[in-house]
Amino acid sequence: MQMKLDRRQFITLTSGLFSTSVFTVASASSLKTPVFLSAASDGDDNHWVIGFSQSDKASTELFRHSLPGRAHHIAVHEGLGIYLVIARRPGKYLWVGDLESGEPLAEITLPADRHLYGHGVFSADGNYFYAPENAWQMINGDSGRVVVWEVKRADRKTPRFSMTRVKDFPSYGTGPHELLITSDQRTLVLANGGIRTHPERGRKKLNIESMQPSLAYINAISGDLEEQHLLDGQYHKASIRHMDQNQSGLIVVGMQYEGEPFDRVPLLVTHQQGEPLRELWAPEPQQGQMTQYVGSVRFDNSGNYFAASCPRGNMITFWEAKSGDFLRSVRSRDGCGLCAIDNGFLFTAGTGRITYYDVRQDSMTSLDSANSGKVFWDNHLSVFAS
Amino acid sequence: MVYNENRSQLECRIMKNILSFLVLGLLPGWLIAQPSENWTEVNLSITDGQVIPRYTAFESSSAGLAAAAQALCQATNAMNLENARKSFHASMDAWQQIQHVQFGPITYFNWNFRLHYWPDEKGTGPRQLDELIAAGNEEVLQSDNFSRESVGVQGFPALERLLFDDESLLAFREDRYRCQAAQTIALNISEIASGVRQRWADEFRTTIANADERGFFESAEDATIDFLKAQVESVRRIQQQKLEEVIGESAARARVRRAESWRSGRSLRNIKLNVMALKSLFNDSESQSIELSEVFQAEDITVINEAFAQLNSALTPLPDSFEAVLMEEQGHEKLLQIAAHLDALFEAFEAGLKNTDLYLGFNSLDGD
Repeated sequence: MQMKLDRRQFITLTSGLFSTSVFTVASASSLKTPVFLSAASDGDDNHWVIGFSQSDKASTELFRHSLPGRAHHIAVHEGLGIYLVIARRPGKYLWVGDLESGEPLAEITLPADRHLYGHGVFSADGNYFYAPENAWQMINGDSGRVVVWEVKRADRKTPRFSMTRVKDFPSYGTGPHELLITSDQRTLVLANGGIRTHPERGRKKLNIESMQPSLAYINAISGDLEEQHLLDGQYHKASIRHMDQNQSGLIVVGMQYEGEPFDRVPLLVTHQQGEPLRELWAPEPQQGQMTQYVGSVRFDNSGNYFAASCPRGNMITFWEAKSGDFLRSVRSRDGCGLCAIDNGFLFTAGTGRITYYDVRQDSMTSLDSANSGKVFWDNHLSVFAS
Repeated sequence: MVYNENRSQLECRIMKNILSFLVLGLLPGWLIAQPSENWTEVNLSITDGQVIPRYTAFESSSAGLAAAAQALCQATNAMNLENARKSFHASMDAWQQIQHVQFGPITYFNWNFRLHYWPDEKGTGPRQLDELIAAGNEEVLQSDNFSRESVGVQGFPALERLLFDDESLLAFREDRYRCQAAQTIALNISEIASGVRQRWADEFRTTIANADERGFFESAEDATIDFLKAQVESVRRIQQQKLEEVIGESAARARVRRAESWRSGRSLRNIKLNVMALKSLFNDSESQSIELSEVFQAEDITVINEAFAQLNSALTPLPDSFEAVLMEEQGHEKLLQIAAHLDALFEAFEAGLKNTDLYLGFNSLDGD
């Protein structure tokens, strides 16, 4: 279903739209690979996107730019050399920067009756960008939507690229959060968190008793629902929120439980399309120490292992993907952002700390990041390896 | 009584701080004490000077509660009921003075929830307790079995419901199982108190003493942050959960039965004891040991102490129950004032923390 484009919805992004940046620590020529990207805030309610590189024992800030509000996840488009910062709910902006220099390129604001959920993903061929939105005025049904943006490369009219809203279909649930696109680019996988919110009520959760999260597989072209999975009824307050997939299409899903803190509920499931959900459990005391909250999940480079961060429990847990076995946990105060790197993971924390964890050697290295100043890393960490 | 002693301590402390302020103003900059970054020293001082002694007091008073409940069931009379109620107050007094520590062993085996399941917005605990007593199953009251029962029947709120009813004595006499349930809950509280104290003394103190990246904590500083969270987040919890949820916007909108420990008429006493313990955690005029205030800048300590003093001055004259204070002239306004003082104290902590390199949390406070 092709939507007719509203003139105002056709947003052309051009380089050099912004003339100032806060400061740039390193020049483009000094950029090294890989480059890590994360949203961050400081104690005075300033919000930033920060790019940094990592060496053995230190991180080096490459750029830092002010954002209009708190952000959440950052999507990377390697082909166009851009990164796209997505506003945290109930934010309404998409903010685009140049991957090489870090410099700001453009800011897009959503229509008045929509807000974002902090996540979005580019298709592998780079031609589309998908982001969940809240159409909160749809009060009689599920208000979750998925909006498809067409991404076009530079031509005479668009010096850098353009992004246009071309489709808008249901997420088949309420409160969609992270989404993925399968490697064949045919299917979107949606984490419908199940929680209804309204921008006039801030971040207040309005339907905890009746919430119904789901994992939805949606045809990326038609928007049709292909497959949908619910948790066991007794776990309906476990909000399905974050996901990652490995090379064999296995999806790992992290949940946040809205029920009693002493209930024992699964906080992770794995899923292979066409099969039922598989609940994962850590042994005690780790299951209890996860404190009902997984903030981010990421597979390692091999796809054989994944990490699940628990910022409320101040720890990162590690799991074997195929068996679903819990392997171990490490302490990380307010640690949430995760990225696969080398033989392990880099993780960022709300304390400002950046840590490299080598899975094989079970060793942690806290990176010296003095030049990042006093910042709190937000929930998600992205990487760009040129 | 306990509270009055603290008040005098507080007054001494305020004087000490006023003097410190005056003296500091005359000293050259290099002589002014800087915030401590010897985290292990701070952590162990608090552990040995505050945490373990308070858990020891809780263990001791809870053993007394278990004994008093046993005596009540052996001879169910007015005197033994009165003794059991007094023991309940003693145990609750001790618990309220260490309730702010919500990390370490208290989180093991759901001990914190089993001890004190509150707030209970849906009335789950009373409903489950009624069902348990109606069923009258003796096996449920065996220690091993009882620890697996719902948290709503295992701790202080359930015991309070049994002990502090106008008809408690008659009900115990008419239903022996009801008294046995009370006895089992009291024993459960005592066993949990003993377990927490023992785990702190035998295990968690060592964890804190050896806090580095190879252990449970990332670092000694990481452990200090847990103490700071116990300090700062408790102030907010008291304000929002224990006070504002109850008092509403006007006296007519006050919901006294939402309060912690309303049946035993001690909701405000709990808050007084919480504040007293938090003040001691921050700094204690009679203690020679290192306290949490060590991590703050001198000028921030002054502001925080002043906020504590204002709060204490407003709290001290109040009776122990919300019902009693709401019957006083301007009672509701007085409670609103307490909420405002708690807010000011929280803000003072927040401002002070900005002048340190310590972060209490970000993602964990308001995640997504």
